Amino acid sequence: MSRLACLGALAVVVFGLPARAQDEVRIGAVLPVTGKESKIGGAYKQATELAVKEANDAGGVQVGGKKMKVNLSLLDDTSDASKSAQLVEQLITQNKSHAIIGGYGSHLVQAQSVVPDRYGVPYLSGGAGATAIYGRSKWVFGTLSPVEHLADTQMKFLDDLVKQGKLKTPLTIALVTENTEHGNDYVKGVTDFVKSHPGYKVVVQEKFELNTTDYRPLLQRVAEAKADLFLADSHLEDFIAMHRTYTQMGLHHLMLTHGARGSDAAARKALGPATDFVFASGWWSDLLPYPQVKEFNARYKAATGVEPQWYHAMAYETTRALLVAISKAGSLDPEKIRAALAGLRMEKSIAPGQVLSFTRTGQCDLPFVVTQNKPGGKVDLVWPKEDATGPTIAPIPTK
Amino acid sequence: MGLFRRHPVLPLGLLFAAGLVLAPLFAPRGTLNDLWNMAFYVVLASAWNLLGGFAGQVSLGYSAFVGIGAYTTVLLANAGWSPALTLPVGAAIAVAFSVAVGLPTFRLRGPYFTIATIGVGEAVRVIASGLEFTGGSSGLRMPAGTFDFSTNYHAMVGLALVTLALVAGLQQHAFGLSLEAIRQDIDAAEALGVNSTRTKLQAHAISAALVAIAGGLFATNFQYISPGSVFDFRLSLTIVLMPIVGGMGTLVGPVLGAMLFSYLQIKLLASPALRDSYLFIYGGLLIVVMLFEPKGMVGLWERLVGLRPWRRTPAVAEARRVS
Amino acid sequence: MQKLVVVALNSLLAAGLYATMSYGLAVIYGVMRIINLAHAGLMMLAAYATYALNDRFGLDPFLSLVIVAPAFFLIGVALYATLIRWLARSSAGPSMQSLLLLFGVWLVLQNLAYAIWGGDTQSILTPYTMQSLEVLGGRFGVPQILVFGVSILSLVGLNLVLRRTYLGKAIRAVTQNRDAAMLSGVNAGQIAAVAFGIGTAFAAMAGSMLSTLYAFTPDFGRSFLLKAFCIIVLGGMESFTGVAVGALVLAFIENFASAYTSIPVSYQDAISFTLLVVVLVAAPGGLPGLWRMLDRRALAR
Repeated sequence: MSRLACLGALAVVVFGLPARAQDEVRIGAVLPVTGKESKIGGAYKQATELAVKEANDAGGVQVGGKKMKVNLSLLDDTSDASKSAQLVEQLITQNKSHAIIGGYGSHLVQAQSVVPDRYGVPYLSGGAGATAIYGRSKWVFGTLSPVEHLADTQMKFLDDLVKQGKLKTPLTIALVTENTEHGNDYVKGVTDFVKSHPGYKVVVQEKFELNTTDYRPLLQRVAEAKADLFLADSHLEDFIAMHRTYTQMGLHHLMLTHGARGSDAAARKALGPATDFVFASGWWSDLLPYPQVKEFNARYKAATGVEPQWYHAMAYETTRALLVAISKAGSLDPEKIRAALAGLRMEKSIAPGQVLSFTRTGQCDLPFVVTQNKPGGKVDLVWPKEDATGPTIAPIPTK
Repeated sequence: MGLFRRHPVLPLGLLFAAGLVLAPLFAPRGTLNDLWNMAFYVVLASAWNLLGGFAGQVSLGYSAFVGIGAYTTVLLANAGWSPALTLPVGAAIAVAFSVAVGLPTFRLRGPYFTIATIGVGEAVRVIASGLEFTGGSSGLRMPAGTFDFSTNYHAMVGLALVTLALVAGLQQHAFGLSLEAIRQDIDAAEALGVNSTRTKLQAHAISAALVAIAGGLFATNFQYISPGSVFDFRLSLTIVLMPIVGGMGTLVGPVLGAMLFSYLQIKLLASPALRDSYLFIYGGLLIVVMLFEPKGMVGLWERLVGLRPWRRTPAVAEARRVS
Repeated sequence: MQKLVVVALNSLLAAGLYATMSYGLAVIYGVMRIINLAHAGLMMLAAYATYALNDRFGLDPFLSLVIVAPAFFLIGVALYATLIRWLARSSAGPSMQSLLLLFGVWLVLQNLAYAIWGGDTQSILTPYTMQSLEVLGGRFGVPQILVFGVSILSLVGLNLVLRRTYLGKAIRAVTQNRDAAMLSGVNAGQIAAVAFGIGTAFAAMAGSMLSTLYAFTPDFGRSFLLKAFCIIVLGGMESFTGVAVGALVLAFIENFASAYTSIPVSYQDAISFTLLVVVLVAAPGGLPGLWRMLDRRALAR
């Protein structure tokens, strides 16, 4: 039965499908352009397309002796996980993509990431930091560093403030996270740090569902715990809703963060001066003082009219990394591309640390940045210290 | 030949079944994926139809059974079980759950029952997201080496055909007639000796088992599940939409609905213009069906071939004029 | 004790909003035995309309209620005239047809919002959004207090209409017994249209007020809808005062559960869902039904 199927499939392949151009690099991408993740998914689409356009405008990617144009097939999975996986499969089997750029959002990338292993096609995602995704298949790579390290970076940043004398241990922590993989990784990062640093203690720990309607009960529990630090990990809508309630209830902590949220333009628009002094940690900031970052900001704004946020930058850099790896591989052979990705050291990267490379598990482990909002709509980069653009204000002043 | 005369849809059905089974020989992988999806929906729609279409008890909480089947399979597979053996266990748990839910809620009639099922479905989802051993909101993966598309494909197609055969058989059997009776007038049915609660529970259990097995196959095919993908309210709605648009209470209706729905999904994704409007289309379909042809596509067909009149009967027109 | 007061006040504030959310559903159900799933979509649309008015003209969300509520009343009547009117009416109870039709309408409304405003999260910031007042030892946000005030006003207004005007009495009559009402000369069709309009207007008011409290996307409204179901079931689906009671009960249970037990906050929604099922099964008449039952038992003794 299966031999018959193979013959049939062979016949279909040989006679059925149109001839494929061999002189192009076929990249497939599946992103949530519509649906729940559409805001950032759309941004990823924009940045990915820009990176491909820039490569093609420069004549294409140098593969071996030839310059080849990049043919990007970008499909919308409407933020549905099963559809996402099936579309990746389609891009590999029917489109004959040489490599796949993964989606945005841990659950979508999780669903997609089981597919590359079946076909032996390199897969690079710029949209998921959950550690559980990586290390299972040698074909799966990710440019977003682990969320646990995001939390760990924030703890190190806070610890440094203690060393500077701005804060004093012992410090108690209120830990409030969204009930997702992202949130769980964040919790792990914080609790691991707390275990090895006796000056810190978590006194209240709560999870909340995405799009919770009323944060009052949650924050009531936080208020009763009377913690020093407020560490939260949330999506944008929840950050806005929770922080509003937080401000209305008159809560105050020495330092406050919502994980990667804080400096988002939408948040400042929705919350106004209530976001002052909130610190946030992310995979990228447009404030990084590297020349290539300044140049990227200008180029991106000129091409799209949009000031790049971390998701634009990481999506762009992910695509660029893939194209660079293909170039380094010198061929379109999947194993060669995979090996090139595994051993990649991309210099002059716009990512923090300026060098993009993958660890053994296929995930990047680049430094995180910490930014702090300042009054008047200003934002300062405050970590890594050597790249800082302004001082850290700690503790948050009481009104 | 008498068989074909009694069931005119049979030759078409056999052709359809043959097409599905033989498809891997000549169809590209993308099409096979689409057929798998369609078969999955056929199972869900037809199974739901037993309780929802035939017996008239519309449940909006069927994603709970999909989730139960999927999670049972993943958890047991990770404990070393062969995926095939996990399916009956998932079915059994789903049956138990269906009885636990059905016993209190079948006392309710009409949309009250429907609302109760919404509550149950959502409660299950929230709890599943919170529990530790189900991986919480991070979801779970199948162990490596449990994926074989050929097996997955034939299993799902097989399940679809078995489901249809089962429903067809029940339709002719006294059981099917009892379900019809319950839908039309539950008190009269009781007066005639139908134990409505027990019949409803049985229908619920059979459909729960079928849906759970489909859920287990889903887990095997996608290798990764999370509360968002299997306990989703939208899935419950999709399961209900298909038989409604296709024609509730008929054998063919859910199949038509499943086919339409799968087709729409493929077409919509392919066209950027339509992609942003898929909600318009689903919503519009529902509105049109409810307003003009509550019996769905099957009803439309019946009118086209003259089995039913186009105009509403005089009695209805009279009633409408008065109000 | 202090905590008790704060939690009680929180519950009260939440109840006001919940009641406004649920009244729209209750009016439509009472008169037409229709379960309006589009309620969530209408709330969402009203939130966006409020946002648009605020964004374009700088109109304060509470002031814009004067525009939004009547506009949506008209939208509700239009919806009735074009779609609902044609539904076959089953004398027994609510029909699945209406449920699914309105669900279709909800989907269409969602797509409308996506098409006009995109999927971005929107929110409204006013000068008083972040402010709070100190009442009896607890701090309460100004928007919450304003929402509560408007809710009470609108509910009192609705009650006055229901009890004092011919329209209101006609609505109540149709709710209790449609045929008898028609025999008394009530034009049930017109009443239905008006009731649908009122229901939609209330949904819009709720949505408008919600926009001052939360950020929203086109997906907004689903969890509120389920809570509203829970409330009208609790309140006994045929009684208007029951809805207020139901809102209070749900708000109190939610707030007290999280304040005094250690049930994880993420299970909070499960409370309302479970309550919904329990009440439907154990006390189908809702709290009034329970009350009547106890009353009857007391009388029997």
